[in-house]
Amino acid sequence: MNRRLYPFLLSGLSLFAATEGSAVLKQYCFTCHGNAASPAGGVSLTKLTAQPASMATHFQQWERVAVALEQKRMPPSKLPQPGDTERTQTAQWIRAKLSESARKNPGDPGRVTVRRLTSGEYAYSVRDLIGFDLKFDSDFGSDAVGGEGFTNFGDVQYMQDAKLERYLEAAKRIANHAVIGSGPLTFYQDPGKTGFELSAINRIHSIYRTHGFRSVSAEGGRPFGLERYAKAFYAAWRYKHRQALGEPTVTIDALSAREGLSTRFVQHVLNVIEQPAPTYPTTEIVTRFQALPAPGPGADAKVRAATAELQKYLINWTRVLFAAGELAAGGQGDERALVLTEESLAAKPSNSFRFLWRGRPKQTTKLYLTATSANPNAKDKALVIWKNPVVRFRKADRSAAPEQPFMTLLDQKTIERLSFGKRADGGPIDPTDFSSEAGQTITIDIASPADAGFGELTIEAALSEGAAGDAVLRCTVADREDLSKGRPPGYTLLGRPDREGFKTWKAGLLDFAANLPQTSHGEPTPADRDPIPPPYENAYNQPERDLYHTSVKYYRNDRFLVEKMLDDATRVKLDQAWADLYSSFEYHDTILSFVSDKYKLNLKPGIATLTRAQIDALPGEAKKFAQILRAEYESTRNAQLTAQPVHLDDSLRFAEKAWRRPLSAGEKDKLRAFYTKSREVSILDHAQAVRLLLTRILVSPAFLYRFEQQPAQTAGAKALSGWELASRLSYFLWSSVPDDELTRAARAGELSNPEHLARQTKRMLADPKARRFATEFFGQWLGFYRFDESRSVDTSRFPEFTDEVKLAMYDEAVSFFEHIVRQDRPVGEMLSADYTFLNAPLAKHYGVKQPVTSKVTMEMVKGVTASQRGGMLRLGAVLTATSAPLRTSPVKRGDWMLRRVLGTPTPPPPADAGSIPADDKAFGGQSVHERLASHQRNPTCAACHSKIDPLGFPFEHFDAVGRWREQYQDGKPILDSAKSGDGAEIAGIEGLLSYLKKNENQVLQNFSHKLLGYALGRTMLVSDLPLIDKMSQNGEANFSKLIQEVVTSRQFRYRRSADETAATVTAKNITKPGATK
Amino acid sequence: MIKQDKPSSRRDFLRGAGVALALPWLESRAVAAAASKPPLRLGVLYFSNGVEPAHWWAKGAGASMEMGPALEPMRAHLGDFSFLKGLYNQQAFISTSPHLGRMPNMLSGATVSLDPNDIRVGTSFDQLLAQRIGGQSAVPSLALGIEPNELRLEDGLSMIYGSAISWATPTKPATKEIYPSRTFDLLVGDGSGRPLDRSVLDSVLAESHELQGRISRGDRHKLDEYLESIRDIEKRIEHSAKQGTLEGWRPTIEKPNMPRPAEGVPQDIPQHMKLMLDLIVLAFQMDKTRIVTCMLNNDLSQMNFKFVEGVKGALHLDLTHNGKLAATEAMYLKTNQYHIQQFAYLIDHMKKIDEGGGTTLLDNSMMIGGSNLFDGDTHGADQMPLLLAGKGGGTLQPGRVLDYLASGNNDKRRACSLYLSLMDRMGVKLDRFGDTGDRLTDL
Repeated sequence: MNRRLYPFLLSGLSLFAATEGSAVLKQYCFTCHGNAASPAGGVSLTKLTAQPASMATHFQQWERVAVALEQKRMPPSKLPQPGDTERTQTAQWIRAKLSESARKNPGDPGRVTVRRLTSGEYAYSVRDLIGFDLKFDSDFGSDAVGGEGFTNFGDVQYMQDAKLERYLEAAKRIANHAVIGSGPLTFYQDPGKTGFELSAINRIHSIYRTHGFRSVSAEGGRPFGLERYAKAFYAAWRYKHRQALGEPTVTIDALSAREGLSTRFVQHVLNVIEQPAPTYPTTEIVTRFQALPAPGPGADAKVRAATAELQKYLINWTRVLFAAGELAAGGQGDERALVLTEESLAAKPSNSFRFLWRGRPKQTTKLYLTATSANPNAKDKALVIWKNPVVRFRKADRSAAPEQPFMTLLDQKTIERLSFGKRADGGPIDPTDFSSEAGQTITIDIASPADAGFGELTIEAALSEGAAGDAVLRCTVADREDLSKGRPPGYTLLGRPDREGFKTWKAGLLDFAANLPQTSHGEPTPADRDPIPPPYENAYNQPERDLYHTSVKYYRNDRFLVEKMLDDATRVKLDQAWADLYSSFEYHDTILSFVSDKYKLNLKPGIATLTRAQIDALPGEAKKFAQILRAEYESTRNAQLTAQPVHLDDSLRFAEKAWRRPLSAGEKDKLRAFYTKSREVSILDHAQAVRLLLTRILVSPAFLYRFEQQPAQTAGAKALSGWELASRLSYFLWSSVPDDELTRAARAGELSNPEHLARQTKRMLADPKARRFATEFFGQWLGFYRFDESRSVDTSRFPEFTDEVKLAMYDEAVSFFEHIVRQDRPVGEMLSADYTFLNAPLAKHYGVKQPVTSKVTMEMVKGVTASQRGGMLRLGAVLTATSAPLRTSPVKRGDWMLRRVLGTPTPPPPADAGSIPADDKAFGGQSVHERLASHQRNPTCAACHSKIDPLGFPFEHFDAVGRWREQYQDGKPILDSAKSGDGAEIAGIEGLLSYLKKNENQVLQNFSHKLLGYALGRTMLVSDLPLIDKMSQNGEANFSKLIQEVVTSRQFRYRRSADETAATVTAKNITKPGATK
Repeated sequence: MIKQDKPSSRRDFLRGAGVALALPWLESRAVAAAASKPPLRLGVLYFSNGVEPAHWWAKGAGASMEMGPALEPMRAHLGDFSFLKGLYNQQAFISTSPHLGRMPNMLSGATVSLDPNDIRVGTSFDQLLAQRIGGQSAVPSLALGIEPNELRLEDGLSMIYGSAISWATPTKPATKEIYPSRTFDLLVGDGSGRPLDRSVLDSVLAESHELQGRISRGDRHKLDEYLESIRDIEKRIEHSAKQGTLEGWRPTIEKPNMPRPAEGVPQDIPQHMKLMLDLIVLAFQMDKTRIVTCMLNNDLSQMNFKFVEGVKGALHLDLTHNGKLAATEAMYLKTNQYHIQQFAYLIDHMKKIDEGGGTTLLDNSMMIGGSNLFDGDTHGADQMPLLLAGKGGGTLQPGRVLDYLASGNNDKRRACSLYLSLMDRMGVKLDRFGDTGDRLTDL
């Protein structure tokens, strides 16, 4: 049973007369605590007893008096002691009095001063408003700590011009991240013009990534999204067989959705397959598609596999036209884009190869001469005639030997095999020449001379004549058989471009490329071998091409994606992104001036000033480009103008989110007027004016302060509005603005219903954002707040305490409490947990035996008690923060226990205490007990240190950087036990834990006290005691239960009325929590 | 009250809101217009945690002054400063809190509230000057520091106490700047008059005014702080735009003669201190401000002094409370010498700047260097170790040892008497300040 509740229940009975309790105090305590001017420890019992009415105000001091009596901490042992009955009765008398006060005004919301966002809250709020972290200085808001020891305490937060300047500076910085183009208002990681450009390119990339596909294209490009083909074939198959598959009414829409594709794409694939007269190579795909199994048992899986094969075939067969080398695997290879274009399909009847190989002295090199047919349907049966082969060797220093006739290097067998002077089909050719058929590879061994470094073969490949002229052969010369690896070989496409047969073949390929392309779009930022748009010269390494890459950079080449794949909404987004990208720099002007130079037009710069008449007057090709440019420019410009009112609406929505409440019509008007004034009076452009509006929203007191409306009535308390409650809740649990769901609940008026409130709370506690609660509340309560920035450890003494270890320790502490909060663990686990959170560097620092692999992120490691870890008493951050730079400080650690964990701090040392004698300062050389003894020798010290030291020494096995140690550096043994004030022996952390278990109620009371103080942003009132009691029932309660108690309490949900004092509130004004609608 | 729907002029609004800021403003303009010789500057360089009394003494005068070892770095400046012995703050002396009850009141002589819910000291004399005459320069005053404000309770008291010697109001410390780059920006500015910033500030000011009616009295007080801050910024903008039109004396430089420091807080403490001191000189030299305080460390500072050769450990726990061990006491001395060396660097710098008429910047300044405690180890607030450098524009006679302890009369040795005397020289004459109404004798 709770000690404090006990008298509370009995309070109907008169326990003691007021004088009775006072008498005991007077008899035993006034000797030291009777002097009103300078009482011992700053506790004046004369003052306290003289004003019984002020008991409620000083209830915390009274609490301490009661505890001191009960736990026999006072009077000091050398002075006369009250009897046990007198102690108990006096404590009960105090408590009864306090309960009486508490009952006078239960659940009093108290006076809560408006809170300014703390530095932490500001950063989190901004993060949640714009979607990414902006690093603000950790002391950005110059926080001060007050009340129950937290930064969120309004009374001690102050504002000054220099600080407001920082808010202004920050607001401008945030506004500079706004993306104000032709789409809705968004924010991007990079600020300003660069951010605008990067945001656009990023959006384009993201749409391409999500909706497009590509095989290999250009340098280092990796294939992605090709499975869309397989899925589309599969959907087409299902549609085709919808009757047999038992869903006769299924739509293409539905099938597409199932496959995660756009309807547009599946419809397109269907169109291709069902076209009446497909040409080669589309025929290859159609034939294979038609050959897919019909519906039936097991057909589905077979079709899945077959469509995947079909997709592979579709992509891979075109390789025959190229010499990819390793490019297909993302490695070295032909840097040209592997796309079918007029350029890549250019062929000629003959080609001269010059092939170079590294020829080691006296070694034999195998050369491979290949001819492959690229038109399997060709009527002509063509040959390649290999003409005039000549070899020349070079020494390692590249000096050349004379050319050697090819034949002199070959052995007789090879000479016979090649049939010099005779075509494979029997006709005559020059005696130095030989021939090969499509599909044939000729291998030749060539031995290098003794001094050779390189070999060089010069040879011409010529296509034989044919009647149809439709033969297309790909020839390669290489020193290896497998051409998919290594450097690209020498290769060429042999064909007769002027012949109808060839033209038909090419038209079929281009049709295929247009309808079943290898890539759905070109990269928006072309690599140096990718195609670039006209009128720029596309040839590699030409001045025009270089100019393009440096001045224009971007090329929109996504017709297939837009026309055959994207749904309407995504098209709009993509167009907006491109409009933004074009307008992020002088895109149109750059190209216009290029066109002007190229066609020697001497146009006046600036597309905006170019009139239709001027354009019409331009000569042929230049006119075409100018028209395109002008149209693009206009559509970009229109898109931007259309978006302007959208940005204004978005800004108002932003304000609602930032201000955590709906805006009144008047407020909206004023913000709009501010924008208009910026445009008209300050002559800002649209983007600048929106940025200024955002700046203004963010320096508004409505954002920086968490105002709650003053209840109109003059007495009593009023329930907070849904918005105010949502704000309290989200700043309590997330240190930030409410999210969309909480905003919805507030708008729907759900939060006045305790069940809804509890559900939201539960949701929020499980959310990743609840980690901030661990950072902010637990960090400040237990003193590891901003430990990651601390520089207190002397790293020349402890070089092992690296930044890596420091950050990991901080992360360990935050992650530990995050776990308690988000997994809703029992409260007692804060102390008793046998797990902790480690990464590899920290595990190594601690010497934990369990395997921890993660280098950076924390892993939960269980069963760590054996390695001396687990629970908040063994957190490295706590152990280090309570040490001095060079050594441990049992006094700091003991004080931490008293102040933070038990909530019973000792008074500060007297000013003239000075330092304890020198021999005690040399901590390394002395034993714990020697130190303890000297504190005890001096009665001034002993009064407090007899309480502090025994709670600090049990930590001695942990050194100043949180590691377990078996002995001191000088080899002396560690004694980590001490006698506590009540005579009990506390040995090590285990001893401390059982001591705390024994005093569990005290620990829980203190924890609840802190929790409530943090939630309410005020100091505790005597009327909070019943709630604190309720919260501290036992350590088995799950964490969320405590939070729910706070959140559903009257204190949390109400606001005290105008400037009243607690005394004026009467019971009839009080509405019970939960009773409201 | 001004009607809401009429944005009208902001000045009207200010008048409507009944803001009494006109007087000091007008006063300051009058003073500025009359100036024809270099203005007087006031600086305070503070270091925390006191000294070892055995190391801090001086006797004799002028070039033949003898000094304790802590003052060794001042040897090159004999004759430029006076040694003030025995000045103290009564409220600090009687406070039961050994550190925080005795430090934030160093420059105000006020009582430090020990109630954790009520952070309250007193307006420090530098800030009082800033409010009265700060309008003479673009930046009314600078409050600089090396260590950030600390976020913890020390014995139940907010460490904001230990982080601030300059207090703008009894409950509000002057915002301390520890970033060299930001300080530089504040001083140099961009000269545009910041029309857009003003547009934003005007607009939120109007909004705040509407808010007033809907919030509680306590909250209104907080909002007032916010409003004041806006007005202070606007005043500063306004003033800085007008600068350069004054007749008479002109600053020796108009553009900064040092590069803009890098963003962020320098990791290297000596480098950080040097930058801040350079910025003080720059501020004075450009006449951007005439009032500066700078904290080399916070009270209870755990600054690790390993950057001084032969020193190991943290200032407060390891070195100040050295337990009179010879080795640690020697290190403590070195930290004090290091602090004084910073003061010497500042003095040296100021001495080299010629302000015309045969005077140097130092001649036209009054620079205090010192700490709030005497015996750091015992938290002795019975006197403060203080040096006063500069000629105060001819109103001070440096090079002396002024012993206020000798008279035995505690009323004659109040630090606030010194502040009253210095404020007189700055042109702000008060009947009383802090714990006294008397000026310091023989200054």
